[in-house]
Amino acid sequence: MSLRHFMQYALAGLALSATALTAHADTLRVGMSGGYYPFTFVEQDELKGFEVDVMNAVGEQTGDDVEFVTASFSGLAGMLDAKRIDTIANQITITPERQDKYVFTEPYVYDGAQVVIRKGNDAIQGVENLKGKTVAVNLGSNYEELLRELPYADDIDIKTYESNIEQDVALGRADAFVMDRISATQVIKDKPLPLELAGQPFSRIENALPFRDDEAGHALRDRVNEALQALRENGTLKQISEKWFGTDVTTP
Amino acid sequence: MHVLDLDYMLGLLPILLGYLPLTLEMAGAGMLAALVLASLLAVVRVQRTPGLNALAMLFISFFRGTPLLVQLFLFYYGLPQILTFLVAINGITATILGLTLHFSAYMAESIRAAIVGVDRSQTEAALSIGMTQGQLMRRIILPQATRVATPTLMNYFIDMIKSTSLAFTLGVTELMGATQKEAASSFLYFEAFLLAAIIYWIVVEILSWLQRRLEKRLNRAYQR
Repeated sequence: MSLRHFMQYALAGLALSATALTAHADTLRVGMSGGYYPFTFVEQDELKGFEVDVMNAVGEQTGDDVEFVTASFSGLAGMLDAKRIDTIANQITITPERQDKYVFTEPYVYDGAQVVIRKGNDAIQGVENLKGKTVAVNLGSNYEELLRELPYADDIDIKTYESNIEQDVALGRADAFVMDRISATQVIKDKPLPLELAGQPFSRIENALPFRDDEAGHALRDRVNEALQALRENGTLKQISEKWFGTDVTTP
Repeated sequence: MHVLDLDYMLGLLPILLGYLPLTLEMAGAGMLAALVLASLLAVVRVQRTPGLNALAMLFISFFRGTPLLVQLFLFYYGLPQILTFLVAINGITATILGLTLHFSAYMAESIRAAIVGVDRSQTEAALSIGMTQGQLMRRIILPQATRVATPTLMNYFIDMIKSTSLAFTLGVTELMGATQKEAASSFLYFEAFLLAAIIYWIVVEILSWLQRRLEKRLNRAYQR
């Protein structure tokens, strides 16, 4: 094939690849990682989980089409800022820093930060034993901040991961990881990893849906808030929670 | 302790293969566009076109000098904050654009080397019988340069196929993204990533086979 032929194909390829994003009128674009069992995960090519059920229920309430966009967790905030998605359903915890930047719905999950260790690691009984240990957290999550607020934070070796913190603790590379109690409990129950909870949750967290802090973002937030309220009142939220966790995590 | 879960891998295989076309399409489109851009850059560099040459050098310097992941994040997440219309570019297009820009910088240099490698006496001979610069390029230089550049260009294509695995950071679920998500719910990391590695490997092996055939064809004129 001559270079000239190559070029002809290349031009055709360029034309094909210049597909533009179509406009979304009444579509609620929801970003999630798809890698946060059992909130949002992919099994046999199917996106499932608590967040998926909640957002589909919200869509039924508001009448919007819900379109799920999966991306690695650290990319989600950027997508929200760049208006590529309208909100993030990935157990986003309300923090003062995030409130400066986004507007949140009312919380729909009440949870706690939990230390998880490799099974049989007696040295760590809870957050107070993390001094001098290596602790894994997810990039962009607020668990890193929670650890940094501890009085002995300087003595904790905090390792930040894009994904797979559970695996690194199971392998023994990190001594513990910190994430929310609900999914930690569920992962330990359902999955074949040698992990166990260490002590009680050490910080209460409230999770909600963030929207951009602009006019459209506020309007959308209000609409979704109303839908969440309705789902709370008619018992749908509780029902979805019990389906995934066997308990109601949607009330304080 | 942990035995390979073959049933899981077999079940995962058709799912992952379903994402292979997207991976190949992004790499294919990126390669074709990169070839065009790289050829233009190479010609500008060889002919030292005033003004354009400096621009081409700056372009090559930047896109060779920064990691692809940084470029992808810069253009997909960073630039739209300043140039809001860029939001219209979706993740797939952004990946193809990123691959194109990044790899064309490398490819331009290897095409340039191939062009410069054609002996100067041939240029003199062609010009002496009255060929124009365009004819010289088309009839004498490029056919020979193509042959020389093919192995390195195929190398870049193989690299590009593997680099599509960065697209998941832009929200594009391709082969690697699909694998990561399946692994994150099954926690069978070894099985999932082993399978993904085997799929990439087989694709690249098929390409290497095609490359050997292509090189044979391009070499025909040189066989005695």
